[in-house]
Amino acid sequence: MDLLSQFVRYRVGIILGLTIIVASALVPGFFGLTTLSLGLDRASTIGLIAIGLTVLLIAGQIDLSVGSVFALSGIVAVTLQPSLGLGPAAVVGVLAGAACGAFNALLSVVFKVNALVATLATMLIFRSIAHWLTDSQPVAGTDIMFSITLAKIYLNLFTVRSAMFLVGIVLLHIWLTRAVAGRNLFAVGSSAPAAEASGISVGWTMAAGFIFASTMAGVAGVLQSLATNTGSPVFGSELTVMVIAAVVVGGTRLEGGRGSALGTLGGVLTIASLTTAMEFSSVPAYFQQVVAGFILILLVVLDRTVKPRTRAHSAGAPAP
Amino acid sequence: MAHRITTSLVSALALMAAVGTAEAKTVCYVTAADAHAYATPANEALSARADELGLEVLTLSQNFDVQTGTEQLNTCIARKADGIILWPLDPQAYIPGLARAQAAGIPSILINSPMSEQANEFIKSFTGPDVYEEGALAADSLSDAMNGEGSVIVIAGQAGNGTTIGRVGGFVDRLKELDSKIEILDTVNADFDQQKALVASRDLITRFGDKIMGVYANDDTMARGFIDAWKEAHGDKPTPPIVGINGQRDAFDSIRSGEMYSTIVQSPVEDGKLAIETMANILDGKEVDARLPIPLTVVTKENVEDVEPAF
Repeated sequence: MDLLSQFVRYRVGIILGLTIIVASALVPGFFGLTTLSLGLDRASTIGLIAIGLTVLLIAGQIDLSVGSVFALSGIVAVTLQPSLGLGPAAVVGVLAGAACGAFNALLSVVFKVNALVATLATMLIFRSIAHWLTDSQPVAGTDIMFSITLAKIYLNLFTVRSAMFLVGIVLLHIWLTRAVAGRNLFAVGSSAPAAEASGISVGWTMAAGFIFASTMAGVAGVLQSLATNTGSPVFGSELTVMVIAAVVVGGTRLEGGRGSALGTLGGVLTIASLTTAMEFSSVPAYFQQVVAGFILILLVVLDRTVKPRTRAHSAGAPAP
Repeated sequence: MAHRITTSLVSALALMAAVGTAEAKTVCYVTAADAHAYATPANEALSARADELGLEVLTLSQNFDVQTGTEQLNTCIARKADGIILWPLDPQAYIPGLARAQAAGIPSILINSPMSEQANEFIKSFTGPDVYEEGALAADSLSDAMNGEGSVIVIAGQAGNGTTIGRVGGFVDRLKELDSKIEILDTVNADFDQQKALVASRDLITRFGDKIMGVYANDDTMARGFIDAWKEAHGDKPTPPIVGINGQRDAFDSIRSGEMYSTIVQSPVEDGKLAIETMANILDGKEVDARLPIPLTVVTKENVEDVEPAF
């Protein structure tokens, strides 16, 4: 039982380690700097959104519309390029993401619609707006050379995107563990009435969570559209599930009140290395999702059935 | 946790060194999907031909998700593939990935679908069907069936789709070129969907009645939709000559029974084969053409028993 509870405590690290070891052994060429840097770049799309969702999930809420916001922000950023220029258009794209989040917050916090239902509805609405804005056709940006620059790898390891993701994780970790607002977030997620009673504004905290989650989806969407020089209404259609999986694998609970930045980092890297490893060995796409699904179930079941010996403090432990 | 990860990485490195690397040339194939009526036989043919050519194929399926595909190009580069075959689902989005591959010295070609002209400097060749030529062949075939005169309807695919534009454009231009007396009553979009074609055909049959002396459908699925609508309206009365494209198995049956006049076989097997053969030539250092079309076969009652359906 001791061993098992130790395993549960460090499950993300262990699963990530196992994935990398098995992949390196079975797949030639998996373990290398190029794989690492490109894998990291790939993980950063999921990762940037996961940063936003970690915050929202800790507050006890969820957002299913992040994939649609991802597409919509990218489209806004690309279609405005001719009139505003690259930079300002990107900013407007991110703001569009934030606006979507404000709308989600309005529904969930002000009108008290269950977040699952509210964001399921906005997921459909934002996706449809994306189709409507573009006539269901992909839109091309103005500067393909910029996309190629954005895809460049610095110091043999980082792209602009993956550096942003890693910096984001560090900032999130500091915020969750050191800042008062970060700790308030856990209080809101654990028990909203208790948090309210101790003087925390539950409504504002949750609203901020929604806006933050959508803004991060907007950032990821704008970066994706810049990196591919394309805004497409079909981008991100399979993203939401993967992001939620990554966050949950990282030990954040859907019920709220528990989660960590390092756990999310581990979850994102696990999902990314699993995908890369299976792609490297030509595993069909549908089967990859079966594997990812089972790992998710395994981790969640372990989480429910085995109580860690020492009840780790939610914020401090890397992967409780 | 950091310590644990370090330990894992070290043991992983040790394992890597033990495994070693000695292998044939690897071609990374980013396909549209791995379970699809057209894509699956194309994928299988590509892999089978690669075996014969002694090439290793790493197949990655985008499952019709462009974003997945753009990321898979990274996997190909990380895997240090010797060549990349890409089935593009978007005219632009893959360009940075293709540029990255070029910078890494990996040659890329496109299979099945074209991309925008900006992609040309990053690819060695585009192999796949010539959809404009398919439209022209359909015009020839329908002219034969109608002895060059009469009025027809055109059931087109999705508006704005490259395949639709080519197949309609080739048809119209060819009729003009022949100075044909065939008149087009109307062109409707039915999105390559049998149900939509059925509904549109009902309207057309009501509107034009006996004036419909021939039908050109952008694919066999939509031709089927017209046949069903015709049967609803006219029972056993013989259909006017119908020309479809793709060469599906059920279209072959319709040609045998006389419900359809012809179809054009665009073989996924040829599609897959040509791509890997072109890549093999590139890897051997040979020059290849920038555009390599796959053979197209017009199938009528005459040769329906001799030709394999496309899928």
